Amino acid sequence: MTSPATQHNEKSALRYRPSWLAWLISLFSGVGGLIVKIVLLSLLNAMVGWAIIVLFTQDRVVWALGTLAVLAIFDFVYLRPNKLLPAKFILPGSVLLVAYLIIPIFFTINTAFQKYSTGHVLTKAEAITTNIEQNVVQGERFFLMTPARDESGALVLVLVDDATGQTYLGRASGLEEIDPSTVAVDEFGDLVPPAGLEALVGDDLFGADAELAAFEIPMEGGGVIKTEGISGAYESEPGLAYDAARDVMIAADTGVEYADNGRGSFVSPEGEELVVGWREYVGFENFTAVITNPLVRAPFLRAFVWTIAFAASTVLISFAIGLFLAKLLDKPKFRLKKMYRSLLVVPYAVPGFLSLLVFKGLLNDDYGLINKLLPFDAPWLFDPWWARISVILVSVWLTTPYFLLVCMGALQAIPTELVEAARVDGAGRWQVFRKVTLPLLLVVVTPLLIASFAYNFNNFNNVFLLTGGGPSSDDQSVAGATDILISYTYKLAFEAGKGQDYGLASAISIYIFFIVAAMSASGFLRSKALENMK
Amino acid sequence: MKKQVAKLVAGLTVAAFAALSLPTTSGAAASLRIWADADRKASVEKVAGAWGKKNGVTVTVVQKDFGKIRDDLKTVDLATAPDVIVGAHDWVGELAANGSVIPLTVSKSSSAKIPSYALDAFSYANAKGNKVLYGAPVALENVGLVVNTKVATVPSSFDDMVSQALAFQKKASGNFGLVIPGGDAYHNYPLFSGLCGYVFGKDAKGNLNPADVGVGNAKLLANADAVDSWNKSGLLSSKVDYGIAKNAFLAGKAAFWVTGPWEKDTIDKSGLKVKIVQMPKNKCDSVPFLGVQGFMVTKFAKSHGVESQARDLVGSYMLSEGAQTQLSSENGRAPANTDAAAKIDDVLLKQFAAAGKGGVPMPNIPEMSSVWGDLGTAWTNVFKGADATPAKTAFRTAGKNIKAKIG
Repeated sequence: MTSPATQHNEKSALRYRPSWLAWLISLFSGVGGLIVKIVLLSLLNAMVGWAIIVLFTQDRVVWALGTLAVLAIFDFVYLRPNKLLPAKFILPGSVLLVAYLIIPIFFTINTAFQKYSTGHVLTKAEAITTNIEQNVVQGERFFLMTPARDESGALVLVLVDDATGQTYLGRASGLEEIDPSTVAVDEFGDLVPPAGLEALVGDDLFGADAELAAFEIPMEGGGVIKTEGISGAYESEPGLAYDAARDVMIAADTGVEYADNGRGSFVSPEGEELVVGWREYVGFENFTAVITNPLVRAPFLRAFVWTIAFAASTVLISFAIGLFLAKLLDKPKFRLKKMYRSLLVVPYAVPGFLSLLVFKGLLNDDYGLINKLLPFDAPWLFDPWWARISVILVSVWLTTPYFLLVCMGALQAIPTELVEAARVDGAGRWQVFRKVTLPLLLVVVTPLLIASFAYNFNNFNNVFLLTGGGPSSDDQSVAGATDILISYTYKLAFEAGKGQDYGLASAISIYIFFIVAAMSASGFLRSKALENMK
Repeated sequence: MKKQVAKLVAGLTVAAFAALSLPTTSGAAASLRIWADADRKASVEKVAGAWGKKNGVTVTVVQKDFGKIRDDLKTVDLATAPDVIVGAHDWVGELAANGSVIPLTVSKSSSAKIPSYALDAFSYANAKGNKVLYGAPVALENVGLVVNTKVATVPSSFDDMVSQALAFQKKASGNFGLVIPGGDAYHNYPLFSGLCGYVFGKDAKGNLNPADVGVGNAKLLANADAVDSWNKSGLLSSKVDYGIAKNAFLAGKAAFWVTGPWEKDTIDKSGLKVKIVQMPKNKCDSVPFLGVQGFMVTKFAKSHGVESQARDLVGSYMLSEGAQTQLSSENGRAPANTDAAAKIDDVLLKQFAAAGKGGVPMPNIPEMSSVWGDLGTAWTNVFKGADATPAKTAFRTAGKNIKAKIG
């Protein structure tokens, strides 16, 4: 069935050699292709099937079912020969889009409506047990302990009082004093239980972990003896109890009740909060907190203006320099063109983190290379205005190669006839550039300029690694002079209050999304206008 | 149609095989997973391994970046979660509030040999204001004043240190008197405490009180003019970063350096003659921040069914003299156990330990994260040279901002 094609191939083999890409595509047709397809699909099935089982064992049912559904779609689409062709191409990309873009966005929005911060990470049920555990009142006595079992298999603790040396047997029914001479001590210092009891060792001991942790010996007066590890026990009394019917935590000694405040904490009437809270939905609280918080309001406008100035100047200056260099390199007779081109792309090839840290050293006031080379000393990182200049300069250094590459490509795409026609009509170089080249270039480049603006609007790394947002600004507020909105957000959400506030951070990032979206949308509307000009 | 079924079968068969090869670990003997950083991994492996051998428990030490131990604990899956972590005491408040680590009870005989401040450092107050212990302190570290005894003598007073430093600085260009990493609240703490500054005060029960912020307290502000004079005379500059400070001292171009035992090997190798002391008393004692490292049992140990084993390793074995002596010799930090500490024979380590006398454990309440940035900024601003902020303004601002951030 493939003979006509083969014949054709043989004939044209001398003239036409398929590229590797075409060869790769051809792998997926015919019998060979079928085998490749089945092998790949089987591997996918195997790996994803394994993942689904793991998810099920970890009780992540929703995730497991979701993954199963995606796998079913894959199998369905790829197993139907010569059908659903567009879907075959779109599916992998769409799945990745959902996995890495849509789901994180969903999580961010979900988090923004929660009280989720240091002290509010557990579920309510976990928080209740953790609070009870943290408030156990430790008694005076501590015992050395060896766990053992009697003939009936019940757990018995052999105990020696740490202070008095008195020996006991502890059962679930109570404590019993025994003659110290019946308990020996072995070479490791562990207790050897009296006759009739078998010490728990090895796998028996490991298997009894949960039983040991939960084991309590009741004592007269309401206290209990609890185990501590495998060789200790201590007297204790509960400090807090949970009343499920009324949903309150009650202090054992004072009777003070800590009630659920609806915001992920148990609070007493006096306003005292239990240490451990839980994640709780709190509606728009995080969103309003951003607006009402004086720490946010005061420096917001300044940080906002600086963010726009930083992003806009980075993009425009980089674009201008990139375009200029691209124009230079565009000249056909330029010598050593390839070498220059490679050198100019170097800042783009070096990881940004590295460049930023190197620049931080170079820009040091007293010991940095830049000030040593300059005839004057500039306080690059220590003066608010100089620091702003430094941040922009370094960002330009990192961004320019991108625009150089983009412009080199875009300039190639401009038809030479248009330029020649303009020249024939008597336009000067500058006029040609302004009236022909630049508008045509902008049609292509404007979306990239907008994207780059949006990227720099949230360019956390450049600011944080170079200046850390500092130096402190003249108004002495928490936001530093070079803090852009996102780095300031970081400071608010992760370096204020009790450390981490994921809910607040998510709420602010949603605000920032709307700001960037609004600005990008207006930019794209303008670029549409440019396109119409064409 | 038959073809399709065949394909489906092929795929599902492989899936079934994969499922069969799933690890079935649930019934295996006890194994304990510990997270430790690169510096401590080897020593932890050795010491915890010895305990594991005795108890028949397999101990696995997983290497993590130090800060990642705390961060990853929040997001880790139960399957790969650690049962025990090695961390710093100043994480305790956050970890306890998040319920990530579980309370320990230790016998009086094991805790008797551990200094009470080290135990307090690993404790966090519960609802009643009682201290609850969350870790076993094993190692102590603090900064000291490292004196290059070839060019300076151990200062007899704070003023003597300043005048010696300035004299050496003037001797040759490129000389530094006293080097402290600029804008760093931790390394500058001896200066801060010497001027009677503190970070958090304590409440009636002796617990740190986040409402009492001592950055910018009246006493400190009254003494703050001295800071301006150090800036004016060029004694200190915020342009000196950690690397510049270290290189200058190692090249013999600095008389005094404020650093900690993590640089002990570097100092040893440099061949410089040094003596490490506590910075001399200024208006108040110039004590450093104390850092305490220790072992903590995570909430995951329960689900893994190794809670009792983990408690035994941490709350009993790790507090013992033998374990701490071995950890210390492998790891180059002073042990917390006083019997083990008495046995240190490393001269520099002993001097570093002595330099920490009366030191203040870094606050372990989560509110501390509001402090580092602003206090550091204040130090940057006061030593900026010509256009420095007056220290009074800088510390008052820092205090005000920190209070606002704690909220």
